[in-house]
Amino acid sequence: MLTTAKTLSPGTKISPPLSARLMPYALLAPAFVVTLFIVFFPMVQAVYTSFFDLILWKPNASRFVGFGNYIKLFGDKVFWISLGHTALWIGLTVPLQMALGLVTALLLNREFPWRGLARAMIIIPWALPSVVIALMWRWIYDPNTGVLNDILIYLSVVQQAVPWLADPDLALYAIIATLTWQGFPFFAVMILAGLQGIPKSQYEAASIDGASSWRQFLHITLPGIAPVLGTAGLLRVIWVANSMDVIFVMTGGGPGYATHTLPLYAFVKARQNLDFGYGTSIAVTFTILLGAVVALYLVRTMREVER
Amino acid sequence: MTFLKTLATGVAFSAMLAAGAANAETVRFWYHFDNPENPMEDLVKKFEAANPGIEIQAENVPWNSYYDTLYTSLIGGNAPDAAMVKLFAQPRLMEMGALEPIGERIDAWAGKADLLDNLLNLTKASDGNQYYLPIQYVVLYLYYRADLFNEAGLKPPATCEDFRDAAIKLTKAPDIYGFGLRGGKGGWDQWGAFVLSQGAELKKGGLTSDKAVAANQWLIDLYQKDKVIPPSAPNDGFQEITGAFKSGKTAMTIHHIGSSKSMVDALGDKVSAVPVPECGGGRWTSYGDESLAVFSASEVKDAAWKWISFLAEGENNVEFNKATGQMTVTKSGSENWTLHERRFVDATVASLPFAHVLPQTPATSEFVNTAWQIGMQQALTGQVTSKEMMEQLEGLFDQ
Repeated sequence: MLTTAKTLSPGTKISPPLSARLMPYALLAPAFVVTLFIVFFPMVQAVYTSFFDLILWKPNASRFVGFGNYIKLFGDKVFWISLGHTALWIGLTVPLQMALGLVTALLLNREFPWRGLARAMIIIPWALPSVVIALMWRWIYDPNTGVLNDILIYLSVVQQAVPWLADPDLALYAIIATLTWQGFPFFAVMILAGLQGIPKSQYEAASIDGASSWRQFLHITLPGIAPVLGTAGLLRVIWVANSMDVIFVMTGGGPGYATHTLPLYAFVKARQNLDFGYGTSIAVTFTILLGAVVALYLVRTMREVER
Repeated sequence: MTFLKTLATGVAFSAMLAAGAANAETVRFWYHFDNPENPMEDLVKKFEAANPGIEIQAENVPWNSYYDTLYTSLIGGNAPDAAMVKLFAQPRLMEMGALEPIGERIDAWAGKADLLDNLLNLTKASDGNQYYLPIQYVVLYLYYRADLFNEAGLKPPATCEDFRDAAIKLTKAPDIYGFGLRGGKGGWDQWGAFVLSQGAELKKGGLTSDKAVAANQWLIDLYQKDKVIPPSAPNDGFQEITGAFKSGKTAMTIHHIGSSKSMVDALGDKVSAVPVPECGGGRWTSYGDESLAVFSASEVKDAAWKWISFLAEGENNVEFNKATGQMTVTKSGSENWTLHERRFVDATVASLPFAHVLPQTPATSEFVNTAWQIGMQQALTGQVTSKEMMEQLEGLFDQ
């Protein structure tokens, strides 16, 4: 080390000692090793498993089938139903959460008495465990004893109790409503933080120039919180796409296949039917699809944000 | 010096503890109780006092994922030494080579003569071996609201025609429905009373016969046309059907004696029970079994056997069933049975002659776990016809 440094001509940047150069790697190593073992290793194994006809309770009948599971997958009507539901699930839940979160954040950004308390309360749905939320909403929706039907009948909106979770045309939307309720505080809090980063002077300048509140919102508020919306939106797309606990507890994917999404289908196949080969092939396919969507999203939003 | 002494004593003491632990055998045991006040701890204490050197680690595994967890832990090599198991799981466990034959141990066991007749035959495996030791049983029967039947001048239904007739007369939607059908997970045993009774069988060609499809259609019609079943039925599980019956929302439902205590707590004398109705000349009800098994991978099979046979002996078995609310498998325990009200015990005993278990094939697990529920929900909500549902289900038993 030292000898090399000596031979360098003056003016050349002297590289720091080895220990200092290794420091970042040493600091990253624990996180890297953990990720390697609990994320990458199982991922590689999942891909490997998906090439086998592997049913856990038939350990002796396991055999290599190449892309056989994937070919079967594309001919499986439940896969296409679940894919459609997944698109609907993400496509509705995330924008709804974002819109509700935005409205909440705008309200919370105004001055009013007890604002601190309101800000703390709003986080509750986000802080509750998913299983608690799912059970709670299951009872809210219950046609025999649930409070939602009671209210709707009292207000004469409906004539008789609606079986929210037992009707295949309604069940998915009922769960989307639940998840929207659960997830909007995340957006509200993130957006609120973004709002407070926008200098007041910009609004003052705009109002002196005669800009209406709508124009102020469009040209100051929205660009101000765009990076937050971009990042929070991306995180939510990934979380919502993968989240199946609420669906599993509320309907188990039913009635029939009415609330099957791809992660749920993979779970049911692998864990309940113990068909790990087919289950992992669904999971791998979904990971690739989601990866593509996320990549596209990243390219687009990052460009917007940089602009 | 004192310090050194203390240290030496400490070292010696921990060495003793370690040696003691090495001698003790630990039996890991899995069970599932819904009842939060379970007496398992007392049973473990009693057993450990009588069998020094054996330590029992009993773990209450949640029922909803009991078999998923059991199968995966068997494959992963982290299975318990013994566990509570049901008959429908036996073919899969056998195919996995996971079960230890215990026939010889049962023959040499003093408690064998005290087991109720026929239970060992019912739990015998298809290869002729005995892997299961019965621990409790229930039989599904029909709960009905005696007060509502009296008011309407009806008798408890003996046939499917009576049943439909009563259900129609008792339905005053949306306040009261005639029958609480379990259309969600676990409802196949109610379905069996209406469909398997009429000659349908879980085998190739057994579900798509005209008679079987018609029987299934009859049940679907109760929901779709007669509207005597609450609209929530496709998503209803155990909590919902018992909840609706207890709150007076339904006038009949099918379940076993395990729920009788909470039914009586809610309804008192207004609730009674009879065997499920006779449909199309046949009768079928589900024999709900629960057994104990030792796993072949266990390293402490002798200790595990001692523990499971302990649970199947007279007094201990009664204690065990106090927690689950089900019926004892011992003759001595049955004699002074005070756990349930007489009318529910009578309905159970009267149902025994036509109580069946599902055929023991590997496909039965998938039928019970996911397939029946998906097919029934689709049929109830009109997404598939009765015939399509039966074809889907028969597909499982084709191979």
